[in-house]
Amino acid sequence: MEKRNVYLDNNATTRTDERVVEHMNHYHLNDYAVASSQFSHTPGIKAKDGIEKARQIIAEKISALNNEIVFTSGSAESNNLALKGIALANRAAKRNRIVVSKIEHFSVLDSAKRLGKEGYDIAFVDVDGEGFIDIDHLKNLVNDETLLVSIIHGNHEIGTVQDLHSISEIVHKKGAYFHTDATYSFLQIPVDVKKYGIDLMTVSSDKIHGPKGVGALYVSEDVIIEKITDGGFQEFNLRGGTENVSGIAGFGKACEIFSEEDVERIKYLRNDLYEQFKSGLKGVQLNGSSDFSRRIPNNLNLSFDYIEGESVVLHLDMRGISVITGSACFSRALQASHILLAMGFSHERAHGSIRFSPSKYTLKEDIDYTVHHVKEVVTKLRKLSPLVEQQ
Amino acid sequence: MNKTVSRTVDCISENCPMPLIKTRAAILDAEKGDVIKIIGTHPQSFEEIPMALEVLEKNILEKGQEKENWYITFEV
Repeated sequence: MEKRNVYLDNNATTRTDERVVEHMNHYHLNDYAVASSQFSHTPGIKAKDGIEKARQIIAEKISALNNEIVFTSGSAESNNLALKGIALANRAAKRNRIVVSKIEHFSVLDSAKRLGKEGYDIAFVDVDGEGFIDIDHLKNLVNDETLLVSIIHGNHEIGTVQDLHSISEIVHKKGAYFHTDATYSFLQIPVDVKKYGIDLMTVSSDKIHGPKGVGALYVSEDVIIEKITDGGFQEFNLRGGTENVSGIAGFGKACEIFSEEDVERIKYLRNDLYEQFKSGLKGVQLNGSSDFSRRIPNNLNLSFDYIEGESVVLHLDMRGISVITGSACFSRALQASHILLAMGFSHERAHGSIRFSPSKYTLKEDIDYTVHHVKEVVTKLRKLSPLVEQQ
Repeated sequence: MNKTVSRTVDCISENCPMPLIKTRAAILDAEKGDVIKIIGTHPQSFEEIPMALEVLEKNILEKGQEKENWYITFEV
């Protein structure tokens, strides 16, 4: 089989669409001024128009108002703004509890932990073996003292998609705010923020073939929030600093281009990958939702018995295939994914997990090439594995 | 082996996946024709590195044991 380069790490980031790059270049080379009001010069007004067009496109995609979209430098900043901005603005509300799930991205978990050091009472919701929020546990944790609940929509590692509507009902019954990190599900799973009762929602550009370093936070008009970055009045006074005009314009363009047809094709490729593994290899465990209608379309997370993810990743990389593992190598000490461990998995299963994430640029030939090489690598590594002998 | 080793990569006492990671890094840094010698102690890596070198079409010049360490010498 001829060597190919197959990038299957699109849950991490995607290749920027050429049309997005072209659109952004206009703002690099022509309308490159600092975005400014109608009282300023024409180049500044044109730059501002680029931002406002993007804002409108993104707002329409989630049924929000234009003035509810706040551009940021990406999901990490959006999540920081959501948690810290709410905490900062509502100190007088005497609500002291913040609830997050155990499977959040570190930008939510670490923001919550920092607020915990500043006196907030942080509570962590359990998840079940497929990564779904334990609704009874959530009901127990959300009380009259709760200020904010933050639950990820589609999980970045295992792909499980939460029922936002049910969660928001529980949260609002107690008068708390509901934030969801929709970075990984944005546009792949349609969300109507008004219908679902979402107060704040994080979205990102680089997961949908837009540029890196741009994201947004949807902030409902009813939410009381303060900026955490001082130094200007930009973005409805919620983010000080010169706007990334080309990036924001590119984000808007990426949203405009993203299509349902692409999502359907990605689903087909993801399902094909899974079916081929299931039928061609023994000892393959699916991590995350087994109901694929409740899974991000471009996510497949599997554990291969008896072998470690790092070895699989390295051997696949040498064959031109890019995937990642939940078995991260930090400072030369293996630390399994906090998400897989929160789901109750053993360290062995977490260490053996591999995430495959196709995109609109993935071809059927890429899937077949990947299956061929994964089978070969897994079979060879199992022959070397002392864990197989132990069984 | 007549060829001169251009670079030696010390993986002694390091466990999987570090020997393989260091081998990959050495290959990425190397120029065509360079001769790299990997020295290590982790038994599984002694099997895994040749498996990777075969896929990368790198020619193994020599492999074996020197006291308690194994070594693999290959040409980039």
